[in-house]
Amino acid sequence: MTEEPANEGEPIDDEIIALVSDYLDGALPPDRRAEVEQKVGSDPDWKRAHAELVTTREALSGLQKARAPGSFDQEVTGAINRRSAGRFFGRRTLGDRVPFGVLLAITLALLLVVGYFMRSSMTGSLKRGPEPDPSPGPGSGSAPLIPRP
Amino acid sequence: MSELERSLLRRLRDRDERAFRELLELHRDRVYNITFRMLGNRAEAEDVAQEVFISVFKTIDHFREESKFSTWLYRVAVNHCKNRIKYLARRHDRDRDELDETSHQQNGATLGAPIRAAQPDRALEGAQMERLLQEAIGNLDDDHRIVVVLRDVEDLSIEEICEITGLPDGTVKSRLHRARLALRKKLQRHV
Repeated sequence: MTEEPANEGEPIDDEIIALVSDYLDGALPPDRRAEVEQKVGSDPDWKRAHAELVTTREALSGLQKARAPGSFDQEVTGAINRRSAGRFFGRRTLGDRVPFGVLLAITLALLLVVGYFMRSSMTGSLKRGPEPDPSPGPGSGSAPLIPRP
Repeated sequence: MSELERSLLRRLRDRDERAFRELLELHRDRVYNITFRMLGNRAEAEDVAQEVFISVFKTIDHFREESKFSTWLYRVAVNHCKNRIKYLARRHDRDRDELDETSHQQNGATLGAPIRAAQPDRALEGAQMERLLQEAIGNLDDDHRIVVVLRDVEDLSIEEICEITGLPDGTVKSRLHRARLALRKKLQRHV
């Protein structure tokens, strides 16, 4: 600040700060902008608010840009590999989300196909044998199967 | 969104490690600067910045390309910072303003251009101002800190800040005013 505006140290109305802040952000319509410019040029409080906000903003934008450490990339990719046991990098067959619905439908269809083949196969375990003959055969009835001595 | 960015996203979705390294190359310093200015501590900032990239990589399929990729990335960064601030507050960790001896020693290596020996007074003045500002930012509450870091440190537009924070224009502006007012009061005696 080259010029020491009047009322140094006295509080400035928050509304003045808000308008000057908007003015500095270029967020005011042209008529309001001209109004603020006029007040900054003539009113000591507005002038002080403007000077202080400009200085604050310049100080903030002048902060040095912190740079990530040199090992940053390696650490991030290392962490990804560690946490995913190396599975993260490299395309996944099914993508990130497992399509449980689709997998269930495919499994059911496969079961149906397998069931059908087992049923129609001559040797399949689901093949029904010939119906047992309900009529008694010769020698059946009350005759003992094992002759008594 | 540029064609280059689209292609990078496509490759990221295909889990291409080289694309991920390109992403880091493009954005790591800015993300790190945001996390550092938000948290005021290098170790925390590095840890959170790493988590940001890991989250981005894990959830890249959720990015719908409705905004710029950088906007989405900064949103992830801001959310991680907010969570970490809450976590640190819960732990009553008062060690946010890490501009300790170690970081001072590291400043030449990790921050901007080296300080010129020919201007020791100006260098000292700069380092003091840096410390003062970081302390002042750290003393803001996190809602105000976010907007002032994004606007005045990172020079993002109000519109972009609205997208990142999900706040309406008026709220962002009023938080910005209050943050600047608080900073102005803190710096008044020094600037």
